[in-house]
Amino acid sequence: MADKDEDAIRGTSVEATQIETDLSDETQDFRLLNHLNFLTDTASSSLPKRGEKDFEPNPTEFQADVLSASRQAMHNALAHPRLHNPNTQVIGIYAPEGPAPPPGVNLEDVSKFGGKGLNLHPDACVCVPIPKGQYFKTMGQADRWNRIWLLPEEALFLVERGSLDIRWPTEITGAADGEDAEELSIPMSLQAAYACFIGRGGLTLERYTVFTGLRRTGYAALRAPGWDDTQAESSMDRNQEHVFRYPQRRGAGLVGVLSQVFNWVRDPFCTASTTAGPAVGCGMHRNYVDVYRRLAMIPWYDPSLAAERDPLDTMPPFRVVFHIFKPSTPIKKTALPPPDFRIAVVNTRETTSIPTLEQIGTLLESTPLDPPRGEKMQRMLYMRLRNGYRNVILAVVDQGIVSYLRLADAAFGKEKLYETQAPSSASKRNGNYRNKKR
Amino acid sequence: MTTKRIENPMPEPSQLTELIDSMSASTNPQTATTLQILHNLQYQHLWTSLQIHATPADMASSAEDPRPTLISGIPPHRVYTHPDEQLYMLERGLRDDDLRPERLFVIPTAQGQRWSLRRMAAVFDAMSDIEVAADDESDTVALPEGAKAEKLEEYYRKRAEADITKEWGSKRALLGMVDKGMGGEGTVVYYIVQEGEVKPRQN
Amino acid sequence: MDNPTLPIPISYISGRYLLFSIDAVTYLRREHHICGVLIGTLSQLPQQNVFLGLPLELMPEEARLLVDKGVACIVDEAKAHGGMESLAEEDRRQYLRELESQGLHASRLLSDRRDQNREQVLKKLDEKSRAKALKAKEKKEDKDVSSPASEAKEEPLDLVAPEPTTSTPASKNTGRQQAMGVTPATSYPPLPQPNSSQHLPPPEVPLSYPLFAHLSTRGYFLSPGLRFGCQYVAYPGDPLRFHSHFLTVSSEWDEGIDLMGIVNGGRLGTGVKKGFLLGGPQKSRDEAESEAERVESVRTFSIEWAGM
Repeated sequence: MADKDEDAIRGTSVEATQIETDLSDETQDFRLLNHLNFLTDTASSSLPKRGEKDFEPNPTEFQADVLSASRQAMHNALAHPRLHNPNTQVIGIYAPEGPAPPPGVNLEDVSKFGGKGLNLHPDACVCVPIPKGQYFKTMGQADRWNRIWLLPEEALFLVERGSLDIRWPTEITGAADGEDAEELSIPMSLQAAYACFIGRGGLTLERYTVFTGLRRTGYAALRAPGWDDTQAESSMDRNQEHVFRYPQRRGAGLVGVLSQVFNWVRDPFCTASTTAGPAVGCGMHRNYVDVYRRLAMIPWYDPSLAAERDPLDTMPPFRVVFHIFKPSTPIKKTALPPPDFRIAVVNTRETTSIPTLEQIGTLLESTPLDPPRGEKMQRMLYMRLRNGYRNVILAVVDQGIVSYLRLADAAFGKEKLYETQAPSSASKRNGNYRNKKR
Repeated sequence: MTTKRIENPMPEPSQLTELIDSMSASTNPQTATTLQILHNLQYQHLWTSLQIHATPADMASSAEDPRPTLISGIPPHRVYTHPDEQLYMLERGLRDDDLRPERLFVIPTAQGQRWSLRRMAAVFDAMSDIEVAADDESDTVALPEGAKAEKLEEYYRKRAEADITKEWGSKRALLGMVDKGMGGEGTVVYYIVQEGEVKPRQN
Repeated sequence: MDNPTLPIPISYISGRYLLFSIDAVTYLRREHHICGVLIGTLSQLPQQNVFLGLPLELMPEEARLLVDKGVACIVDEAKAHGGMESLAEEDRRQYLRELESQGLHASRLLSDRRDQNREQVLKKLDEKSRAKALKAKEKKEDKDVSSPASEAKEEPLDLVAPEPTTSTPASKNTGRQQAMGVTPATSYPPLPQPNSSQHLPPPEVPLSYPLFAHLSTRGYFLSPGLRFGCQYVAYPGDPLRFHSHFLTVSSEWDEGIDLMGIVNGGRLGTGVKKGFLLGGPQKSRDEAESEAERVESVRTFSIEWAGM
């Protein structure tokens, strides 16, 4: 996902090259953070350059001092408290039972207001009575009392970055009658927030890690229809199957075509054209293109023809769980644009092998067609191949460390090299077409 | 149009094939692998005093994974120097070529062979019991004189110590793997395998 | 840096092992070479992924090692937080008072620092203008100006530290200070530490645990290795300051090893100046009475490309 946009939105003045080495490499030296004065100087949010590391420990005092300084810096950075300025503080209330109307309103009253009352995500579990600040543009759902309801991952992320103060509901912690509930509600610790929100409504720690990793760098991440692992293909879609499905055997698609290829390899003489005689056939051949066209007897997979699959007709964890929007994509929560990326999250401790062809195939077919477009793609063969016709991103989480892999189905069969115009100068002498770029 | 008759459609067998044919009476594929790697060491890497050693008969073996064999020989240049040893030599102005040539074990393997830690450990354990025929060439190296000889002596003393403390690594062998798989063209690759955690070289 | 009381409670949340206490994190790193992976957002630098903050995610192997050493215990955090329902009225009030005093302390500290900074800036401006006015004079005064400020910024903002007794100019303003809201890192207090009968059994570990424990015992710092194409990355010292030495893969004693895996590992390691370390216990789980016995039986092999 390392594209230019990502660097641009980092909100830091770090050069792209430096970020690359930083992220792919190992633990960073927290001493670098000493250069920043977080508390007083909010303007200096640029990242410091990375430090040098040694090959192995030696008994010098210098090395010991540097290490202890690094550890102290790390300690200080991690010990930094999450504070809320009273003027800008945003308070949320934990709702362990899910969305509910405000105190004093009962649900029967709600139905009087046209039933629009609690049309909220059932997994929402934190209510922000007085929402302020920029975060709610891409997060949360408003109810008819203008309160914002947050999903567990949204609430936890805001707590973690110090932007939200969540309170235990007084129904849990108790408050004497007549006391001001907000005054006396207990702030939730970061630990409590993790304990309450991770594991709630399908939010695994791995999904949360991917969510925050992307949010931190400015992407908006929203749950995709495939979020719920326990859900199989919905019945409604099953009924409509024949309407949008390509008339192909179920489970064909990528796998089906591949097995056709393997069958052909095993028994190449089954093809009618070759039993009848030479593949190209006798007669006059006036150009190479005709010959090549006749020689193209191996069936190939055309991703642009594959039918779109229901997102739930996939095999978890190889199922899209997040829709990702670039920071530059304008988002209206009520009418979402198509996502810029689709992400499936894989935990290495639960899935220890690479996905099977069938898993990849169904996953890709569950994403919409995204053929290579634009002048650059038209011109450049390899960019076209790399872009593919459908794509999805696998976020592979190894104990908190995320690697992103982009899977795309390249359509080599669509790129007929023999039909491509050979470079004008060299082609005359040498009948064979050679691609300029190797 | 005349057709040229091809007298002999088969190419001449290679020297390697001849070697394997002549030396292995059995059809044991391990023997062929061993000979192929021996041939590679001798003619591509110019090793000398090559010997083939059998590993103890009690080692687990079956038709699929035959008993491993070992090769030993003397490389023309030192193949491996432990990083600490290298530093020690550097401080004394010694170069690899100043040292006596040393015999090194090679474990011949072929791609696709099934290995396990048990097998690797057994080969390493067997190495200490293998008796190597005396090297006739070791005496022919010209001994340096003067200050260098002293430094060398110092080095060998330290080396004897290091062999006990294992600070310069412990038992080591080359793993030679011949590419015999589908489309394999007989390339042999070599990896240094050492027992225990031996820190990597930095160059 | 205070040493935490042992055993350190490791939070078990939805199948994962997490640490929220900074003292525990620092202590375990220093004394037991346990690094874990920071997965949280640093609230002071929330828009980047290079430096992350609490919580610290531990591999089950790390949690298990600490429990087996008697250094840590596992706490079911969802269950423990059920205790919020039974907080005594008095404890609740006292906790809220404590948070408020922390919040007040923080806002005082912050305004002090702001004042200090303002003074610095004014002083500098002042000196600059003076220097301009007296151009003939040599400008050597402004050299020692910056030191107090840089000292101040290296100090952590410690909420529980006693208030400084010396009165700074800013403390005159305390009357109109409003307490800042505080989100504490942990829930202890107000919750009482769960007693040992409530601790969970030691974590389940993968088959690679013996190799992990073996290397840890030998002083290596280990972290998850997938992004380097292995199981664990082994560092000879704290990864904060040292490059790793090994890309590590574990195998059972009789488990088949594809030789191509050795070649791949060897090549991968040599390319980044690391060794490839293959190892495992000689005893299978059926043959050993405990994981500790398996740890004892580990043998390892280091592999590098021979360069020929």
